[in-house]
Amino acid sequence: MLAPTSHPWAAGDSLGAYLTKRGVSRRDFLTFCGEMTAMLGLSSALTPKVAAALTAVKRPSVIWLQLQECTGCVESVLRTAEPTIGDLVLDVISLDYQHTLMAAAGHAVEKALADTIAANKGQYVLLVTGSVPTKDDGIYCTIAGRTARDILEEAAADAAAIIAIGACAHWGSVQAARPNPTGAVGVAEIIKNKPVVNVTGCPPIGDVVTATVVHFLTFGRVPDLDPDGRPMFAYGSRIHDQCPRRAHYDAGQYVEAFDDEGARKGWCLYHVGCKGPATFSPCPIFQWNTRTSWPIGAGHPCIGCTERGFWDTMAPFYGRLPDVGGFPVERTADTIGLGLAVGATAGVAAHAIATGIHQARARRKLPVVDIDKKEESGHGQD
Amino acid sequence: MSAPRRPTAPAVKALESRKRFALSHKVAPPKGNYRWVYLWEWPIRTMHWIAVLCIVTLATTGFYIGRPYFMTSGEASSHYLMGWVRFIHFAAAGVLVATAVIRFYWLFAGNQYERWPALFPVRPRDWVNLVKQIKFYLLITPEEAPTYLGHNPLQQLSYTAMYGVALVQVLTGFAMYGQSNPGGFFYATTDWIVRLFGGIQPVHFVHHVLTWWFIIFVPFHLYLAIRADHMERTGTISSIISGGRFVNKDIDYVDSDIV
Repeated sequence: MLAPTSHPWAAGDSLGAYLTKRGVSRRDFLTFCGEMTAMLGLSSALTPKVAAALTAVKRPSVIWLQLQECTGCVESVLRTAEPTIGDLVLDVISLDYQHTLMAAAGHAVEKALADTIAANKGQYVLLVTGSVPTKDDGIYCTIAGRTARDILEEAAADAAAIIAIGACAHWGSVQAARPNPTGAVGVAEIIKNKPVVNVTGCPPIGDVVTATVVHFLTFGRVPDLDPDGRPMFAYGSRIHDQCPRRAHYDAGQYVEAFDDEGARKGWCLYHVGCKGPATFSPCPIFQWNTRTSWPIGAGHPCIGCTERGFWDTMAPFYGRLPDVGGFPVERTADTIGLGLAVGATAGVAAHAIATGIHQARARRKLPVVDIDKKEESGHGQD
Repeated sequence: MSAPRRPTAPAVKALESRKRFALSHKVAPPKGNYRWVYLWEWPIRTMHWIAVLCIVTLATTGFYIGRPYFMTSGEASSHYLMGWVRFIHFAAAGVLVATAVIRFYWLFAGNQYERWPALFPVRPRDWVNLVKQIKFYLLITPEEAPTYLGHNPLQQLSYTAMYGVALVQVLTGFAMYGQSNPGGFFYATTDWIVRLFGGIQPVHFVHHVLTWWFIIFVPFHLYLAIRADHMERTGTISSIISGGRFVNKDIDYVDSDIV
């Protein structure tokens, strides 16, 4: 495969022509199209349609905004063991405006953004990584003197599609974890008049980004979304229900410590806090770095990074349930519950003793009754 | 006093057997100064005992699901421990919901002690008696408990709270159950619960913590039932088995006039 710098995508080229120029064989290209069709959950009969659409697609203009974020999502998308065709698609479409990858700097960069928006009104794809701080007029993230919110609103106004990549763009991620000092929110909370696709995760899987873009290029619309704006083809089922360790869960075989026999045998990580049962993500299938590995595959419990609010709701990452507020970590809900149950039992026992003492005292005060006389009183049934 | 005409031996036998197998709650006319009042009809009693079995099953299996306290060894393919535990949990939950449906129907079809107004202290004097009842249990006024045939106001509040907690358990339980089939019936109907709690983990947490509510309820419930049975001698405990109590005719019961 030839380098993009020596063989750039010319403005009029279709993707098919560009890939030929880069030395990608037809067979490899069709294999990629087949993979994407499978990943999107489409019938294999649609592969020719995907291939035809991708071959014909003209260089799509894409703006990639990086707001309040750590650049980990960009790394996740770019870091593959070898350049794939998916990377080529992403490489190319991200050329217009991408802080990390751009060669230009300063005013030239901001001019590129303005020019791209002006030249492709209503046609470009907007990718966003990072959250938008809202507190104190959004001063916590400014680029070229403008706030993240300002830049996002301008770029989103004329976008054909908006794809929020990563947990930050989805809901704010670690910046939005309690107490959320910068008032960070996701893209969908700023841009309310357009559908926002949330390719979430911390970081998300690069293949999901590629597949979402492929879907948009093929069908001219974004894929079906779940109630939280996540593409159903990727976030349609739980990690737990696709997990290669699921058999151990059902069998009752759990890792209890990271150096025990169960850990060596690859048993289920449920006991050490795996949030796979609460997390919707395609990790077990797609995996990272060209299907090299993924957290549970490497023996670490899932932390639920594709779920809204996971830093707060999924913590502690090595425990099953959230901690009880106001108590030290060791005081779990069960300790408190057991304490209360024992306390209740002790309480009723004490009450029973008190009742007994009271009854004994009352009995001593009663007048002595002649049993023989009682027989005649007419109440003799008991 | 002239001796009454004795019935023939077969007639006595027939009468006896009819008494023994009678399905109605009619009993022989009361003797002495006691009368038998029928409080809890068979659907309520059945519901109570099925719910007891369900809750014991649900708590036991639920704690296993929350923190698996048994392990299996060997090949995963030869075991299905968690699978069966979850199956039993879900099945018991289904039975509990069925009893809840019967109970709900009986809020409208039941007698005056079972219908929905009996779930709450609705009249002002019930609130006065609630304070009296609490004073009685705190041994402040250990001789003066308000006398109710059905549930006293404190019982009404605590049992209705149990229904409320059970409802939360059912809703959160189905919300978690629905997660395995996104877009399915349970997922679609319980989505609002997950949103309300701000994620599925808080739902797990609430479901887990409220289990302790049931467990803490048990000693109080058992103790107060046995205590009432012991002190009042009116068959409090047998009322949830036979349906009725023997009560003293001289006592004026607060709720004997509700219709």
